[in-house]
Amino acid sequence: MAKPRKTRGESLVLRYAVLGTWALICLLPILWFLSIGFRPRTEVITPEPIYFPTFSLDAWHLLVSDWPIAQYLRNSIIAVAGSVVIDLILAIPAAYALSRYEFKGREDIGFYILSTRMMAPAIVAVPIFFLFKTVGLLDSVWALMLIYAAINLSLVTWIIRSYMLDIPKELEDAARTDGASDLRILWEIIIPACLPGIITAAVIAAIFAINEFLFTLLIASTANAYTMSVALANFTGGSDGIIYNAIALVSFIAFVPILILVILIQKHLSRGLTMGAVKG
Amino acid sequence: MASIQLKNIVKRYGAFVGVQNMTLDIADEEFLVLLGPSGCGKTTTMRMIAGLEEPTDGEIIIGGEVVNEIDARDRDVAMVFQGYALYPNMSIYENIRFPLRMRGIPASEHDARIRKAAEMVELGSFLDRKPGALSGGQRQRAALARAVVRQPQVFLMDEPLSNLDAKLRQSMRVQIKHMQRQLKVTTVYVTHDQIEAMTLADRIVIMNKGAIQQVGTPDEIYSDPANTFVAGFIGSPPMNLIEGNAQNGRFTAPGVSVPCPAHVRGSVTLGIRPEDCRVGGDHVQGQVYGVEPTGDVTYLTVLAGTKKIEVKAARDYRSEIDVPIGIAFDPAHLYFFDESGQRIRGAE
Ligand SMILES: Nc1ncnc2c1ncn2[C@@H]1O[C@H](COP(=O)(O)OP(=O)(O)O)[C@@H](O)[C@H]1O
Ligand SMILES: [Mg+2]
Repeated sequence: MAKPRKTRGESLVLRYAVLGTWALICLLPILWFLSIGFRPRTEVITPEPIYFPTFSLDAWHLLVSDWPIAQYLRNSIIAVAGSVVIDLILAIPAAYALSRYEFKGREDIGFYILSTRMMAPAIVAVPIFFLFKTVGLLDSVWALMLIYAAINLSLVTWIIRSYMLDIPKELEDAARTDGASDLRILWEIIIPACLPGIITAAVIAAIFAINEFLFTLLIASTANAYTMSVALANFTGGSDGIIYNAIALVSFIAFVPILILVILIQKHLSRGLTMGAVKG
Repeated sequence: MASIQLKNIVKRYGAFVGVQNMTLDIADEEFLVLLGPSGCGKTTTMRMIAGLEEPTDGEIIIGGEVVNEIDARDRDVAMVFQGYALYPNMSIYENIRFPLRMRGIPASEHDARIRKAAEMVELGSFLDRKPGALSGGQRQRAALARAVVRQPQVFLMDEPLSNLDAKLRQSMRVQIKHMQRQLKVTTVYVTHDQIEAMTLADRIVIMNKGAIQQVGTPDEIYSDPANTFVAGFIGSPPMNLIEGNAQNGRFTAPGVSVPCPAHVRGSVTLGIRPEDCRVGGDHVQGQVYGVEPTGDVTYLTVLAGTKKIEVKAARDYRSEIDVPIGIAFDPAHLYFFDESGQRIRGAE
């Protein structure tokens, strides 16, 4: 009895050692960022190896004083959050219709919706630019909100639809015989029952929106609409040449929201992604 | 409270006929049981009455009103679903309350009614739990409580006791019947369990392959089966059905020879219930195939030719196998069916 327990304990140690090493390898670039971000500029660019780095908030001070980071963050949050809200408002009823009502061409419509996801974004870049120029929304977070919403709408619909398909039809039948209207059923039965799917879809959409680059670059031309992703790419540290410690710190700041989102839904993430991918 | 009429109801799924040409009158306050093997169209029939499924053809009338075009939520029918269909995100309390809220029943009445309904199904202490935290039997009772919490015109119950253990099933059976008599609500109850059907029903409808085989009181179904399907479906063990030949007032089959009415002729099937067979006699000459004592009765299986005949013997009957044995049939309880399986009744 004692012996197997011991080997189990040993294999547990081994398992943690292997996983820990792997995690360290994966996390190394991020730890590296952090380490660079909190070192003085001189130490970052020296060719000599440094074994005991000096802690410094130089980069942080530079960022806060010279760079409208709060503005960029605000733009990101407004555009991303707004786009997710738009997506949910449109996608939930659409997913419900696609998962429940029998109508002609239902499968085709489902496929059309998904096919918008398959197009290379660059194809529509020029038309989108002129479209927003015409309506006077260039360099505006509202334009970004609409674009992010449009990009993610198909995926959000598809993920929510697949969760709704898993809800037994009897549940709705029961609600109907209990006297509930379609809207009631959607609101009180369906949405709560597929809430994990809705949250997953929202987080995935948020991650994609935060990382969106091409259209943001196209639409945003000043701090009015710059989001973290584009601001980061444009950031070199200002007039004093390339300031690596500041760049590292900005990168890390841009990375944190995504990290938080992924941790929030890690349990559902793989299901959400494979559903979006496979069931198409 | 209402009567229900089904007039020539048909339900087709493509080429497959789920329910064929069903005509049925269900009286006000009646307890009607649909009984039949799995897949015979019981659930489909029930869903059509509830308005969850549209009949391909025919008319459904509830309380004198044709309801074909009326949506399920406006039919005032309460249904217990085979798969419970409890709302997973709501507590049992909220589940039972849902129909009250949807039907606009004043909030001040909710609590008392919910507790009364929960009491009826002995679920009082689980009201705060979510359905996921209940056993199958508890969920089934919660589903029952949700149906009885309001006073609908019609109760529809789709195998509401199928997941309970034998003891609870028996007590719930009594409870359901008591409840139905008390509430006086017309009830259609689906089951594939004949004991449930016999004990609960005012009338039983036996279905097979989407068609009604017989409608009658439990007594009629038992003692006057319309065809071999009903005869072989009811009773445990069910009626012995022996294929053979009848001529000149005698029915014969391998190992079997019994007098029969003169109008029974040709290729026929003889039906005899195990309790109407007696050890000793010469209607059957066979061998003992098996003996199963159960305590209050002993089941004896006799092999006549290649046919196994079930006999309900005295509780102390014992025998070795392969011993020759004679069986007598009670001549007053012989049933004859023609080649298509239909009952051959009195002299022509
Ligand atoms: N939506 C459907 N599409 C096709 N066939 C169906 C559908 N619903 C039920 N059926 C078929 O109709 C028959 C009767 O089903 P059902 O009424 O559920 O039987 P049961 O008597 O077991 O409740 C079954 O053979 C079933 O496969
Ligand atoms: Mg069924």
